[in-house]
Amino acid sequence: MTLFPLILLAFGLALIGWLVARARAARLQSSGRERLHSLPGQHGWYVAMWIAAPTLIFIAFWSWLSPALVVDAVLATPEAAQLPAAGFERQAILGEARALAGTEGLGAFNPLAETLAPAFEVYIARYAWIGTGIAVLLAFAGGAYAFTRIAPAFRARTQVERGVMLMLLVASLIAILTTLGIFLSLLFESARFFSIVSITDFLFGTVWSPQVISERDPGATLGAVPLFWGTFFIGAVIAMAVAIPLGLMSAIYLTQYAAPAVRRWMKPLLEILAGVPTVVYGYFAALTVGPALRDFAALLGFPYASSESALAAGLVMGVMIIPFVSSMADDSIAAVPTSMRDGSLAMGATTSETIGRVLLPAALPGVVAGILLAVSRAIGETMIVVMAASGAANITLNPMESATTVTKQIVDLLTGEAEFDSPKTLAAFALGLTLFVITFLLNIVALRVVKRYREAYE
Amino acid sequence: MSSTLVPEVPVTNGREPAERAPTDWKTHAMQSRIRKRYAAERRFRLLGLGAVALSAAFLVFLLGTMLINGAGGFVRTEIALPLDFPALSLDVEREQLAQRGADLALAGAGLQNAVGVAAVSAFGDEGEDYLADNAWLTVREAIKDDPSILDRRVTIAVPASSRIHLAATDDAEPAIEAAAARLNAAGALTRGFNWSFLTGSDSTDPTSAGIWGALKGSLLTMAVTLALAFPIGVLSAIYLEEYAPKNRWTDLIEVSINNLAAVPSIIFGLLGLAVFLGTFNMPRSAPIVGGLTLALMIMPVIVIAGRNAIKAVPPSIRDAALGVGASRVQVVFHHVLPLALPGILTGTIIGMARALGETAPLLMIGMRAFIGSAPEDLASPATVLPVQIFLWSDQVSSGFVEKTSAAIIVLLVFLLAMNALAIYLRNRFETRW
Amino acid sequence: MTDNSLPATKMSARDVHVYYGATHAIKGVSIDVDQENVTAFIGPSGCGKSTFLRTLNRMNDTIPIARVEGDITLDGENIYSPAMDVVQLRARVGMVFQKPNPFPKSIYENVAYGPRIHGLAPVKSDMDRVVEQSLRRAGLWEEVKDRLHDSGTALSGGQQQRLCIARAIAVDPEVILMDEPCSALDPIATAKIEELIHELRGRYAIVIVTHNMQQAARVSQRTAFFHLGHLVEYGVTSDIFTNPRQERTKDYITGRYG
Repeated sequence: MTLFPLILLAFGLALIGWLVARARAARLQSSGRERLHSLPGQHGWYVAMWIAAPTLIFIAFWSWLSPALVVDAVLATPEAAQLPAAGFERQAILGEARALAGTEGLGAFNPLAETLAPAFEVYIARYAWIGTGIAVLLAFAGGAYAFTRIAPAFRARTQVERGVMLMLLVASLIAILTTLGIFLSLLFESARFFSIVSITDFLFGTVWSPQVISERDPGATLGAVPLFWGTFFIGAVIAMAVAIPLGLMSAIYLTQYAAPAVRRWMKPLLEILAGVPTVVYGYFAALTVGPALRDFAALLGFPYASSESALAAGLVMGVMIIPFVSSMADDSIAAVPTSMRDGSLAMGATTSETIGRVLLPAALPGVVAGILLAVSRAIGETMIVVMAASGAANITLNPMESATTVTKQIVDLLTGEAEFDSPKTLAAFALGLTLFVITFLLNIVALRVVKRYREAYE
Repeated sequence: MSSTLVPEVPVTNGREPAERAPTDWKTHAMQSRIRKRYAAERRFRLLGLGAVALSAAFLVFLLGTMLINGAGGFVRTEIALPLDFPALSLDVEREQLAQRGADLALAGAGLQNAVGVAAVSAFGDEGEDYLADNAWLTVREAIKDDPSILDRRVTIAVPASSRIHLAATDDAEPAIEAAAARLNAAGALTRGFNWSFLTGSDSTDPTSAGIWGALKGSLLTMAVTLALAFPIGVLSAIYLEEYAPKNRWTDLIEVSINNLAAVPSIIFGLLGLAVFLGTFNMPRSAPIVGGLTLALMIMPVIVIAGRNAIKAVPPSIRDAALGVGASRVQVVFHHVLPLALPGILTGTIIGMARALGETAPLLMIGMRAFIGSAPEDLASPATVLPVQIFLWSDQVSSGFVEKTSAAIIVLLVFLLAMNALAIYLRNRFETRW
Repeated sequence: MTDNSLPATKMSARDVHVYYGATHAIKGVSIDVDQENVTAFIGPSGCGKSTFLRTLNRMNDTIPIARVEGDITLDGENIYSPAMDVVQLRARVGMVFQKPNPFPKSIYENVAYGPRIHGLAPVKSDMDRVVEQSLRRAGLWEEVKDRLHDSGTALSGGQQQRLCIARAIAVDPEVILMDEPCSALDPIATAKIEELIHELRGRYAIVIVTHNMQQAARVSQRTAFFHLGHLVEYGVTSDIFTNPRQERTKDYITGRYG
C-alpha cells in the first residue's frame, strides 16, 4: 500500500479501537459494581492512541526506509550489473526505472531503465505488503495492550492527557528542528563547498562568473562581493529609499490625520500590496517598469541604460515593502501612550510638531526595528530580482546599471543541469548560508528591540 | 492629612530669575510665526496624503496593467476554415475511426498536412501561419465525432494562431494586421471565451496553453501544506501559550518560531532541496515535497496567530472551567480552543494565501519543469500557479504575455477570495472581550 | 477663607453641551472661572467634570466623535469661534493631566518644548532662564538642577507631575487646567503638589478637577459640584462644604454616594 491509504488504515483501525473500547467501558459502567474513574470515551481515546501512535510512527519510518530497501533489492538483480558506476547517470537511470514501474506503455529514454522497471515493480509491491503487514500487526499489538488495561480503576483520562501533552511538546519542537535542519543542511553543503573553494576567495573575491569555473582555481571566479553589494544596493538602499518615506508617511497620515472612514478603506487597500505574490511584482517589474525606466533614462541621455537595471528591481521591491514598513510604524506609534500626544497638543503644538518632536522620537526604537525587519525581507526577496534584475555581477553605484543579488544567483545556480557535487551547485548553499546568517542576525536584533520597546510602555 | 506633616517645599530658596513679560500673542512677529507653523502643518499633512495616494496609485496601476494585459488571455480567436475532404483525399479507413487507434490513424493519414493545405487554398500562401499549431487537433476531434464529414465540404472553426489573435487586439506587423482585417471582413474570425485556458495544461503554443495543470498542482500542494501546518501550528501554539514552563527550552522554541517567520522563503527551498530531495530521496517536482516545504514555511505564521488568539481568551474562562473540576487538557480543548478558533482560522488562511503565492522555494525543489498534463497524485511531477506564471513570463513568444497576465488574474482571484474569507471570519466570529 | 466679592472673570461658559456620539455627556453647564482663585470641580466618577475641563482648552477636538455646543469665552473671546487659533488657545490655557506624562526626553527638553515650538525664547540664554524659572515655580529646581539632562521619565511620580506643571508654566499660560493631578501620586507627593497650587494661585487662574473632597477643600476657593452631566451647585468652597444649598451636594459631601 502507498503512504496515503496506509495512514487512512491507521486512523480507521484507531476509530474501531475507540468504538470497541468505549463500548467495553460503558458495559463495565452499567454493570455498576465499581465506579469508573474515567469516562467511557476516555477509555476509547486511550485505546485509539495506542493503536494510532505506534502505527503512524512506523509508517513514517517505513516510508523513509523502504525506497532504499527497494533500490538495494533491485541492485542485487542480474540486470543491474550493466548500470554505470556511481554518479549522476546511474541515479538518472534508477529514477527513470522507478517512474516507469507501475505505468503502462510509456517509452523510456534509456533502454536500461526499461529492463530494470519490472524489478522495481516487483520489489515496490513486495515491500509495500511487508510494510502494511507490520503496520497492522503493530496496530493490533498496541490496541490489545491498551484494551486489556480497561478497568474501573484505570485512570484512562490521565494517560490520554499525558499523551496529549507529549504530542503538544513534539509539535512545538518541530520549530527548533526546522531551524536546526536549515542551519545544519546549509552548513554541511557549505562545508563541502569550502573544501573546494577557500572561504576568503568566496567572501572577499570581486569576480563572480560561475559560468566559467576553472578546474585549477575554482575560487577565482566565485568571489561573492559583487553579489553582496548588489543585494545591499537593491534591497537596503533603493528599496528602502522608496519604502521608508512612503510607508512611514502613509502610517502617519492614516493614524494621525485621516478620517475614520478613510482609514477603514485605505488601510486594507494598502495591505493588498503586501498580499500580491512576489512573482506578480517580478513580472510587473520586468514587463513594465524595467523597459519604462530604460526609455526614460535614454531620454535623459543615458544611452546604455539596462532594462534590467538595479533601479527597476529596487523600486518595485520598495513598493512591495511599503505596507510592511507602514504597519510596523503604525504599531510603534500606536504603542506610544496617548497621554504623550495629549500632553504635546495641550501645550499648543500642532499635530505635525507633535508627531515630529514627540511621537516619532518616542516610537523610534520600534520604527528602527521595523526597518531592520523590512531590510531583512528585502534582501531575502527572490522573485522580483530573479525576473527583473540581471545576472551580470557589477559593483556599481549607478542605479541604471544592472546589478545582481544573492537570491538571484542561488536560483540561477540551482536551476542549471549541473551535478549536485559541482562547486557551482554547492556555491548556492554557501550563498544561502550567508543570507541565512545575515537575515538571522537582523531578525534577532530587531525582535530584541521590539520586545524591549514594548516592555518600556507596558 | 494636613500640610504641616509635609517638609517645606523649596520654592523660592534661590534667587528667582527676572520676571518675564507676559507673552503678547497679537504681535506681528508672533502672528507670522503662527502662520508659518500652520503652513508647515499643511505641507506635512499633504505629504502624508501624497504618500498614501502614491501607494494606492501604484496598486491600481499594477492591477490595472494585469487586467488590461490579461483580459485577452481569456479570449480566443477562431478562424472558420473551409475543408474539402474529398479533394484532400485523406487515406484513412472508416472502421479505424470507431476504434481506439483513431488518433494515430488520422495522424498517420497526414491530417495535419491536409489542414495546412486547406488553409493555403482558403487564405493564400500565408494561410498556414494563420492557424494555431494545434488547429488540426480540432479538425481531428470533429472527424471523430462525425466521420461522415470526410465525404463532403465542411467549414470548421479552428483556433487562430497567436499572431492573428494578437493582430485583432493589439498593434502588430502591418502584414499580419492586414491579413487579420481581410479575414475579419470575410467574416471568418470569431472570438469567444477561451475555456481551454481554464481546462488545459502547459503547452509550447500560447493559443493552447492552459492553467488547469498548474492549478491542480497548487491545490495538491496546498492540501499537503494544510494537513501538516495546521495541526502542528495549532498544537505548538497551545503548548507555548498554555503549558510551556518558563525555561530556556521554551525561549529557544520562541526564538526559533519568531525567526522562522522572518527567514527568506528561498532558504526553505534550500532546506527542501538538501533534506527532502537530498537526504530522504523524495521525488523531484512533486506536490508532496512542495507541500512539506511550504508547511514548514507557514507553520510559524499559524503558531503566532494561534498564540495571539489563545492569549485573547480571558483567564476568567479558564478559571471557571478549572473551578468545576475540568483537567487542564479539558479546559483547553473544551473551552479555550473553540473560542480561539476563529482567530486561528484567520491566521491559517492568511498563511495559506502566502503559501499559494510563493514561488522561490518551489523553484529550488524542481517544480519548474515543463508539465504537459495535470498531475495525477502527490508524488507525480507537477508545477504550481505562481511557478507557471514565472515560466510563461520567460517565454519569447509574444502570445504568452497575455497568458501570463491572465494566469496572474486567476491567482489574484484566489488570493482575494481567501483574504475576503479571512476578513469575514474575523468580523463574524471574533469576540471582543 | 476668602472674601465673597466677585473678582475678574477669566473664562466663562454659557449653556455648554458636550456629546460623545449619541451620549449626552455635559448638559447645559454655565460657569465663570475667575482670575484670582483656584476653582475645583468635584463630583462622582463619570459626572462629566473632566470632560468639561477638556472643553476649556479644546482638548476634546482630539476625539473625533466629540461635539461641543454653547459658548466658552477666554477674556471675552469665544474660544470655539473660527477666528480663535487653537494653537494659541492651548498655549494660553495650559493643562496638567491625571497621570504624569513627561516626554521621553531630558528634563531640560521637557520644559523647553513649549517655548521652543511657540518661539518664545529664541536665544539659548533666554531658554535657560525660562527653564530655570519654570522649574523654580514648579518647586523642582533644587531637586533637578544638577541633572537637567537626565531623562524626565527617570524622576519619581511626584517629581514627574511637577515637571509637567513646569512644562505647562514654561509657555507662560494665563489659565492652568489640572485634571486630577494627584490621583496617581502618594500622599507626600500629593501634599507637595497642593503646596505648589497655593504658590501658583494669583499668578495663574487655576481649575482643578479632583475626586478627593478634602483636596478640593484644601486647595480651592471656589467649588463646582457636577452630577450626571449637570452643574448642580457652584459657589465659595467653604459654603459648599459647610452649607450646601442642594440636597444632592449634601448627600455627596457627606458620603452618601460617590
